Amino acid sequence: MLITCPYCGPRDVIEFTYQGDGNRERPQPASQNLDAWNAYVYDRLNPAGDHNEIWQHSGGCRAHLRVVRNTLTHEIRSTTFARGGHKAEGRS
Amino acid sequence: MAEHQLPERLSPLEPDYHLGSHGNFEHGVDVILSETRPGSILQLAAWPGEEKRLIEVIRKVTGLALPDGAGGGVSSSARAVFGFAPGKFTVVDEAEGLAAAFAGVITPAIGTLTDLSHGRTAMRIAGPKAEWVMAKFFAIDFALPAFPLGAGRSTNHHDIFAQIQRSGADQFDIYVFRSFARSFWKALCHASEEVGYEVQ
Amino acid sequence: MSPRRAETGGRIDRLRTIRFTFDGAPYTGHAGDTLASALLANGVTLFGRSFKYHRPRGLLAAGVEEPNALVTVLRGEVREPNIAATMVEIYDGLVADSQNRTPSLAWDIGAMNQLGGKILSAGFYYKTFMGPVIGPLKGTRFWMFCEHFIRRAAGLGKAGTAPDPARYERMNAFCDVLVVGSGPAGLMAAKAAADQGARVILADLEANFGGSANWSGETIDGMPAADWTQRMVGQLEGNDNVRLLPRTTVWGYYDGNTLAALERVTDHKEAPAKGEPRQRYWAIRAGTVVLATGSFERPLVFPGNDRPGVMLAHAAERYVNEYGVLPGQRIALFTNNDSAYRSAFALKKAGAAIVAIVDVRSDVSNEMRRLASEAEAELLAGHAVVATEGGKALTGLKVQRFDARSGALSGDERSIHADSLLMSGGWSPTIHLASQAGAKAEWDPARQAFLPPKPTQRWIGAGAFTGSFSTAEAIAEGRAAGLQAAGGTASSAPLPIVEAAPGDPDPAPVFEIKAKGKSFVDFQHDVTAEDVRLAHREGFVSVEHLKRYTTLGMATDQGKNSNLPGLAIMAEALGKSIPEVGTTRFRPPYTAVSIGSLAAERFGDLKPERLTPMHDWHIANGATMYSAGLWYRPMIYGLAGETVEQAYVREAKATRESAGIVDVSTLGKIAVQGLDAAEFLDRVYTNMFSTLAVGKARYGLMLREDGLAFDDGTTWRLGDQEFLMTTTTANAGKVMQHLEYFLDVIWPELKVTVTSVTDEWAGAAIGGPKARAILAACVTGTAVDNATLPFMGIVHGQIAGVPVMICRLSFSGEMAFEVYSGAGYGTRVWEALIEAGTPFGLVTYGLEALGTMRIEKGHVTGAEIDGRTTARDLHLDWMLSKKKPFIGSAMMDREGLVANDRLQLVGLIALDNRPLNGGGHVVEKLDEANPHDSLGHITACCYSPALGKYIALALVEGGKARHGTRAFVSDPLRNRFGPIEIVSNHFYDPDGSRMHG
Repeated sequence: MLITCPYCGPRDVIEFTYQGDGNRERPQPASQNLDAWNAYVYDRLNPAGDHNEIWQHSGGCRAHLRVVRNTLTHEIRSTTFARGGHKAEGRS
Repeated sequence: MAEHQLPERLSPLEPDYHLGSHGNFEHGVDVILSETRPGSILQLAAWPGEEKRLIEVIRKVTGLALPDGAGGGVSSSARAVFGFAPGKFTVVDEAEGLAAAFAGVITPAIGTLTDLSHGRTAMRIAGPKAEWVMAKFFAIDFALPAFPLGAGRSTNHHDIFAQIQRSGADQFDIYVFRSFARSFWKALCHASEEVGYEVQ
Repeated sequence: MSPRRAETGGRIDRLRTIRFTFDGAPYTGHAGDTLASALLANGVTLFGRSFKYHRPRGLLAAGVEEPNALVTVLRGEVREPNIAATMVEIYDGLVADSQNRTPSLAWDIGAMNQLGGKILSAGFYYKTFMGPVIGPLKGTRFWMFCEHFIRRAAGLGKAGTAPDPARYERMNAFCDVLVVGSGPAGLMAAKAAADQGARVILADLEANFGGSANWSGETIDGMPAADWTQRMVGQLEGNDNVRLLPRTTVWGYYDGNTLAALERVTDHKEAPAKGEPRQRYWAIRAGTVVLATGSFERPLVFPGNDRPGVMLAHAAERYVNEYGVLPGQRIALFTNNDSAYRSAFALKKAGAAIVAIVDVRSDVSNEMRRLASEAEAELLAGHAVVATEGGKALTGLKVQRFDARSGALSGDERSIHADSLLMSGGWSPTIHLASQAGAKAEWDPARQAFLPPKPTQRWIGAGAFTGSFSTAEAIAEGRAAGLQAAGGTASSAPLPIVEAAPGDPDPAPVFEIKAKGKSFVDFQHDVTAEDVRLAHREGFVSVEHLKRYTTLGMATDQGKNSNLPGLAIMAEALGKSIPEVGTTRFRPPYTAVSIGSLAAERFGDLKPERLTPMHDWHIANGATMYSAGLWYRPMIYGLAGETVEQAYVREAKATRESAGIVDVSTLGKIAVQGLDAAEFLDRVYTNMFSTLAVGKARYGLMLREDGLAFDDGTTWRLGDQEFLMTTTTANAGKVMQHLEYFLDVIWPELKVTVTSVTDEWAGAAIGGPKARAILAACVTGTAVDNATLPFMGIVHGQIAGVPVMICRLSFSGEMAFEVYSGAGYGTRVWEALIEAGTPFGLVTYGLEALGTMRIEKGHVTGAEIDGRTTARDLHLDWMLSKKKPFIGSAMMDREGLVANDRLQLVGLIALDNRPLNGGGHVVEKLDEANPHDSLGHITACCYSPALGKYIALALVEGGKARHGTRAFVSDPLRNRFGPIEIVSNHFYDPDGSRMHG
């Protein structure tokens, strides 16, 4: 499987680490809403089909990416930096 | 800060650094391996949106003008710079003390400076079979059109994280964590036996 | 001249003779021979014994699909079993043995299994050996009795036990176009793509490129097809953008057009050159793949179809045209299609007598009739072979009238004398890689074959792979595929002109001749047509179940010959059509792959070692090294005659009495820098860091999001916006990822850089009553007295002319300092400290003494922060700030995490003065026979020189409430039972007076 890192280009999946479900929403740090925290820490969608995921290019630039991957076909629909701001400039 | 002459640093490769020709060299040496031992290896990081200012600072201090684009880089005989991650650059100088030159000019508003002169070990592989040997370690495309002159790449070989700069048409500089350097060097020598190698 | 080698012909080098041995007997062959062709040329007909019945078997095929002629190749002590003789290129000194026979191939006692043929039918093992014991000769226990004998009798070659000294390598390759298969289609595709300027890799599992062109006897562009091949290869060789990989099997097609291939680099050589690997595992990332993998000829299923001398028709054609070897002198053919007629003609031309062509079809075309008469063969149209005769070699066959529509046999049997019977059951495209890439194969009723599915990845098919079996079609499709793959437009240039024998590609839909006797479907696993029907009768209706029950297609050849005939027989039994029954999906690997190639350089040569800057000093000074993750750390610096315990007790004692020094370079170190560094640390640590003064350090604790403890360490404030965080050695990578995750995903607005600087710094921890005096003796540029360097203070100075950073903190419980210098100066500083310390009685100590002193102090490490414990469990709740939220703060107070009966950290003292063991359980009541009701377990243990006792840290239910009570250790695995006292985890100097000084 190849994942196209917006910075490094297409790289083998061995360079990446799965960092969890990208649909999770972290409550405000001071929130005492345990249900919301519980949902954030434990609830997962586990869809058969397109899935929002977070991957880290841990064996490369180390940026975290938001990846849309089809869990049935492994097809990667899109990858973007999880941290906005940096321009995903074209590769040299 | 008053500069005074520091003692020589110990190379992590020392006991396994054997000058001369090795492996299948009777028919010629196809790669040359060396430790380049730069005096300064720095990591410069810009906050999002501050990349251009950082690149300008790098140009002023080192005289090296970074080309645009991810993983772009450039090198001269004594200095080298390349991008290895969003907003992050590795800057290398033959001489020690480059961190001091940057210390005043990388303001907190631009980003950060991290001195890795001891923490990273630089090795060079050069020769007609350099791409062939590198392909044994890293799952990246070393062909010139895919990996242009001066460009940088971040990748890894199993547990060994590596930054690579193409410093010549058939020459690569590899930066690995110092603690892994000897292990990687031995592997590099081993993988080069087939084509014949010389340690300089 | 050997008995079966033709006087002329073939593409072997007759001037080069090669000597080898097979089953201990010497043979000769020629350069270009395979073991199969060379032995066949020497008159060998018996190549192996079958898997289950030990039936004599000869060559069925000439290529990778060979199921019978499996051999073991020996190189010194190393034996590689189950290699098809058809894929072994001979070299001087080759030693090969046949398999699955005792005592010899010709006289095999296992052949008695044939007499029990009815007993050993499909499902024999399940029926006999599964389930409860009902009488002495059934059930699982009976299996345990029989297993040894059965395992010896059934099976393939024996694996070796000697270490494999060969070198294996992994290569990463990138290309625009990967062409798999180098027959006319593959060669055209590679050439067309290369001419467009694309980066091309051409891989073929054979030694010579050309595929069928090497033996088809056809003419391309006015020259023999094999010569045309040479010309094409020559043109490709000259191209910088083309990489040719002969002897390379593309065995796996994975996501993202990533393919795996195995190159046999030196298996055909007497010895590898210096540094040359035996095999290379290629990981190829291809823009587009051209699949030109050709097709396999299918055997026909009829009684005695496995007798040595029965061979696939094209294989015979290949033996004669490529190797100049005739498989027999009197040859009969048995076919359901036209392609065998060409084979007959080729063998006739090489000097064999074609005694008969038996064709199941009654309506044979005039063109085929003409070919038969040119071969001077008697044509028996509308006939079938119903039996073969002979023992270890074929002597003849019997034929009967046959109705292809009904499958009925009629009339008298007629005997034909022949020493070779060639069969052709039609052709199946080699769609394995396309199947691996996803999507289901499609049945083509005309071709009577599964054709490749529609691509789900970027591949293009060409030639016989697509069901286009003629060379002219292959050439046209190959060029088109190559052009398309390289992004070129269709070419109007003339195509090479092919002169070939005519033939209809569609066979008659006949797979099996039902007559009395064993008719084999899967030659390698000894599965007969009757086994398939038996499986059906016993209720196995799914093709997947059929496969597992009969083991059809599950041998090392993975059913390359047997797949379709097996399906056809199953379909008939079910009364369904073949597409209704469906086919199984092919999975990697296409052919057997050596484990060595997968391990590649990871084996032996590179499990990377992480070495500290002082590593060589430790080795030179008698340290016993211990591998902690990838790191190597001194365990003890033993003196002559010392046990490990004696050494660490001495080291720990000396440290508490005078001073000790330990290498702490492995501690994870992360530079946390930037405008928001302090704010970030407040969020990730449970305690405050924004209030820490520059030049001071603080002990910090991190929790996970779920509120459980994650890691601990000290963090030093080196500047207003600059911190040096330390982590435990084991968690350095995890903590780094944790920080990066929060900066990238959760708080992207924070301006913080985190960088691993573990390797930048060499660290030495020096502790003990004399530690400060030792520092004072060697540090310049700063004082180290209590005022300048208080507890948790940081100063900068020099040792031996090298800048150092010193922080006063303690893990051992003694007055202690961590001295950091640039890693390149680590040994220099270390040696200077030791030189300065020698007059004070300084000792070096290793991990064992380090652990001992931390247990005495009751400090926690990864053994206690094990992913199940909370800060409270470890008595670290004093570190949980109430002034701010932090990672884990919301979840840490959940009911289950604050319950009274949780396992909490305590100390244990062995009351019987014997060592305790990590993992031993703590119980209230000792019951050695039936240990139960564990209160908790031991996490770390040692002999404490400070207490003069064996002590341990443990996680015990109730924790503090049990201080001062007695219990027992129960460790049945190591048979260690005995009384203990539960105490505070702070065994030694609980108020810290020693380290505060």
